[in-house]
Amino acid sequence: MIDTFSLALSHALLFYVAVRLMLRPDLDSEESAEPDEKTKGFGRRA
Amino acid sequence: MRDLAFLGFLAVILGMGFRRPFIFVLAYVYIDIVAPQRLTYFLLNSVPVSQIAIGLAVLGWAVADSHKHTRITFRQVVMILFLIYCGITTTMADFPLPASDKWGWVWKSLAFAIFLPFTLTTRLRMEALALFMTLSAAAIIIVGGVKTLASGGGYGVLNLMIANNVGLYESSSISMAAICIIPLILYLRKYNTIFPKGWPANLFCAAFIFACLLIPIGTQARTGLICIAVLALLSLRSTKRRFLYIFLMGAAAAVAVPLLPSSFSDRMGTIKTYKGDQSAATRIAVWKWTIDYAADHPLGGGFDAYRGNKIRFETVSSSEAGGQVNIEANVVEDKARAYHSAYFEVLGEQGYPGLILWLTIHVVGLFRMEVIRRRYKKRDEQNGQWMGSLAEALQHAHVIYLIGATFVGVAYQPFIYLLVGMQIGLDSYAQRRRAQESDDGPEWRAAPQGWGKQPHWTPAA
Repeated sequence: MIDTFSLALSHALLFYVAVRLMLRPDLDSEESAEPDEKTKGFGRRA
Repeated sequence: MRDLAFLGFLAVILGMGFRRPFIFVLAYVYIDIVAPQRLTYFLLNSVPVSQIAIGLAVLGWAVADSHKHTRITFRQVVMILFLIYCGITTTMADFPLPASDKWGWVWKSLAFAIFLPFTLTTRLRMEALALFMTLSAAAIIIVGGVKTLASGGGYGVLNLMIANNVGLYESSSISMAAICIIPLILYLRKYNTIFPKGWPANLFCAAFIFACLLIPIGTQARTGLICIAVLALLSLRSTKRRFLYIFLMGAAAAVAVPLLPSSFSDRMGTIKTYKGDQSAATRIAVWKWTIDYAADHPLGGGFDAYRGNKIRFETVSSSEAGGQVNIEANVVEDKARAYHSAYFEVLGEQGYPGLILWLTIHVVGLFRMEVIRRRYKKRDEQNGQWMGSLAEALQHAHVIYLIGATFVGVAYQPFIYLLVGMQIGLDSYAQRRRAQESDDGPEWRAAPQGWGKQPHWTPAA
């Protein structure tokens, strides 16, 4: 039960990362380099 | 059912790799850490998934990636030399069979760390690698954390899904790795560009770090406690309100200590009374043996040379009865004891030349991360601050490893070489950015605007 919960949660997040990467052109090239993208972070910002 | 889920997950991730080849690299990292083939009973355990992923990763990089900025760095050269040297000592090993077994996984770990930096050409790739490393480790750490909360764990009894001690599923390795990744989790919490911000992500980070801190308690590996202490000290460097931090740490420790299982406190107490502890006394005896062995075999004895040791040592314990202190000394004899220290592991197996190469790989890493940290940490967010923060996180993880490694034989632990690979990738990236800045930096404003080279981006005022 605990094993399944941990595996499901971590794999769901890994899957989400992979899907998001598919949609990002800056994964492979920063040639059209803009200034660093403003970081979203996880935290609420002042 | 679990087998099918793993198979489906891997198939989809590898499928994505055909559109974005860097995902093959991430798939290999995932397989290296989680080892899904060991968690399943059929299908995956008969397929060489690891070899397939690494083959696709190298092929994807060779065929589809731009090699415009591919440069080999000093540390990669040192790692190649170290790899060749380990290969040579394996052919002359004292114990050829176990040595070739160990070589079988060590060379992969080193070779991947040499290859990895070539693929880390963008910020997003480094972020994706950090996310894959931490979330893959989360699969093991969350299990350990929840089980520790539920049962209190115990030395050698915490069930981390796989019964045999392999890779990160080994209790001392996971205790060390769990603490190592805390700086990376904190970095990702602030700088990631993939997950949306908000309370769910914050909650996950907090729970994940809590689970990481529970691992040394659950596995009762004493190394983990030392790693936590190192982490607490290192965090002081990046904390603005140091006194408040020290106060909060003290308060957290005061609350946590009474809640720790008594078996944990008892075991941690043996750090102080190491003279009476056979496990600690064995280590010291093996380390002395290794120094003598290296004096006779300065070029090393190949992997698993410790199998030849015969050690004899004394344990001293004291007990108090009726106001009298009785000191009892016992002589213990033992043989074929493992090194229980990465430094002595390398010294015994690869001799002094190997130890020098190995130390160079690690010490240069700490130094390079410090250079990047100082250069970028104080910049604003649009101008590369993330590089300074990532360098700091990687450096802290590395220091935790190097101190923890004094007491655990993890000289070739693949997880650490992923960190080393990421450090080299970040270093190359930062140097490229610096060169670009000096081309396009503040000076460009004064340059003629005509038809010449245009700036890529405008530095913030």
